[in-house]
Amino acid sequence: MRHAWISLGLVAAVFVLAVAAVQRPEPAPPAEEPQVIEISAERFSFYPSRIQVKAGTLVEFRLTSEDTAHGFHIVDTDVDVEIPKRARGSIAVRFRPEAGRYTFECSRVCGAGHAFMRGEIVVAE
Amino acid sequence: MPSSTVENYLKAIYSGTSGAETPQPLLPMGQLASALGVAPGTATTMVKALSESGLVDYQPYAGVALTAAGRKLAALVLRRHRLIEQFLVQVMGYAWDEVHEEAEQLEHAVSDRLVDRIDHMLGRPQTDPHGDPIPDAHGLVKPQKAQTLLTCPLETTVTVARVVDQDPEFLRFVEQHRLKPGESIAVEERDPAADSVRVRRSRSRRLTIGTRAASKLLVRVSALLLVLLAAAPAWAQEEPRTALSGYMDFHFNKPELADGRLDFHRFVLLVTHRFSDRIRFVGELELEHAVVEGLEEAGELELEQAYVDFLLSRAFNVRAGMMLMPIGIINERHEPPVFYGVERPFVDTVIVPSTWFEVGAGVHGEIGRGWRYRAFVVSPLDAAEFDAEEGVRGGRQKGSDTNIGRPGVTGRVEYVGVRGLTVGASGWSGHSGFEFRPLFDVPVSLAEADVRYARGPLELRGQMAQVWIDNADRLNDLRALATGVSPNVASTIRGFYLEGGYRVLTHPRAGEVGAFLRYENFDTQHGMPDGYTPLPEFDRTAWVVGATYWPEPDIAVKVDYSIVRNRSAVVVAPDSFNIGLGWWF
Repeated sequence: MRHAWISLGLVAAVFVLAVAAVQRPEPAPPAEEPQVIEISAERFSFYPSRIQVKAGTLVEFRLTSEDTAHGFHIVDTDVDVEIPKRARGSIAVRFRPEAGRYTFECSRVCGAGHAFMRGEIVVAE
Repeated sequence: MPSSTVENYLKAIYSGTSGAETPQPLLPMGQLASALGVAPGTATTMVKALSESGLVDYQPYAGVALTAAGRKLAALVLRRHRLIEQFLVQVMGYAWDEVHEEAEQLEHAVSDRLVDRIDHMLGRPQTDPHGDPIPDAHGLVKPQKAQTLLTCPLETTVTVARVVDQDPEFLRFVEQHRLKPGESIAVEERDPAADSVRVRRSRSRRLTIGTRAASKLLVRVSALLLVLLAAAPAWAQEEPRTALSGYMDFHFNKPELADGRLDFHRFVLLVTHRFSDRIRFVGELELEHAVVEGLEEAGELELEQAYVDFLLSRAFNVRAGMMLMPIGIINERHEPPVFYGVERPFVDTVIVPSTWFEVGAGVHGEIGRGWRYRAFVVSPLDAAEFDAEEGVRGGRQKGSDTNIGRPGVTGRVEYVGVRGLTVGASGWSGHSGFEFRPLFDVPVSLAEADVRYARGPLELRGQMAQVWIDNADRLNDLRALATGVSPNVASTIRGFYLEGGYRVLTHPRAGEVGAFLRYENFDTQHGMPDGYTPLPEFDRTAWVVGATYWPEPDIAVKVDYSIVRNRSAVVVAPDSFNIGLGWWF
């Protein structure tokens, strides 16, 4: 009889553990590490001015300026930030692109050659 | 009307894919389940059902996104939610940390008609109490240009625009520390080691918060934007279409053996207008020497740029109007804080006649990894105004009712594919004898090459340029016949300079100090036509030594000493001591 009770208890314990295992929520996915790309802005160019990434990659642009404040705008997206002036730190912006080509440009007038400050993000499948 | 469960799923996908923090095209199923507090299997089952209804696009193992129909439904749920929150705070006197849960319940119960009445009654607010944008009745949301406290510029006044965490405890923390939307603050310092951000609320009040809290506070930079918000609410959240900027240059020059001169040399305003992302206008109006009385010595008011750019692609763009000739370092890059020396280099004045601008049209773009080009057809120089001392400088037509019988062409190729390095070559060619045709013409060509390297404290520059003037003998003969004096125009003029600068002091608050040395060699009578003798006073060298202090990157206080020598035994070139104050805004 005692053996039967122990067996029943074990079966119940296994059942409870199995249910708990099934019910237990999936662990939260680990935080995604972005691909960091450093871009330097200077009158009147970005370096690098051509960037290649894979579609769906979470990209973090870290932007610094060698002189005045510049803008970083990815055309046809909401990405538009101001890059602080020289020695005033950097600014980071994240972007997860779909396949295609994106133009980025300086969106804060920075001098006579402001319109030349453009670059391209090439996003491959 | 969809069930509350459906609406909650759509809202969660909407927030996950286009939220304020990290927009992404597909929301992973794990994140969706976590946001809704359900098991992943439950979420997957529901998403499959929504996919069959055409509300979401489900991609197994990748995630889920809203379709256009799903996006509109989700935006309308958010509209109800946010208007209810605003109503509860504005009309019912709720605290802002109490309203989220109430709105979670009510958003599924109220009709669109009631929501529209609430919207009307509240004066069609743009945001809810937490700064979240309220979609309009069509489900459209105006884009917000906001940054977090982790990304906004340091030491810049910003306005809190939005709090993205609705947790009541966090909202109370935000209220207690006066970080609610509308408050003006500045980020003083970010400390990655301590995961903290120091925020200044006023001159004496500072607060240190964790990076997690800082990431939940969105801010807007720019006082201009706040002004626009009051004046033009319809498009206040977009980038301003018209912008004003400029630079100025204020000089003290003390030539050897003469009294000093104080001159407000340049006052330049740039007006830019964005018709669209693809079509832009740039205008630059320059007042030289403060007063305009009709002669150049008394001052000039010049329209140096006024063009429209049609930005078609990175590789190919079209420009038309008044524009800068793409020659040399200074002509396109002459804002006072970006070059050493009070005055521009001599070579960039008498060999390359900067600021050189003309009317015309052409193309520009960038190819590959940093190869840039520009090519323009422009009004030519006027040979009737060339002279011995300043070469072709007087021949600029400056876009004023120009003769373009035979247009000039100009172009530049430069490489910017290595960080800090710019290597360029440019040219100009045109027929400048339109005053003398059909007797003869005056073909003119200019070739130039330059290099600039700037990295950290070091900056090095070098440039050389040469001009060829054909038929200079006939030009001199004819002008001597007309005026009695030969202009003694050369057949070739040339010059070069080398410059080294180094920022010897860099302090985060006090600014930077740089010292420089420049050697120039320039001769506006380098080669003479047959029968003409070069005047030795125009074969010159210059040593310029000085320093620049940048109290901040857009202001330059300059001082230099310029030693000019020539080959003449009679005409002495005076040294000069110069002080300048220039700024860009």
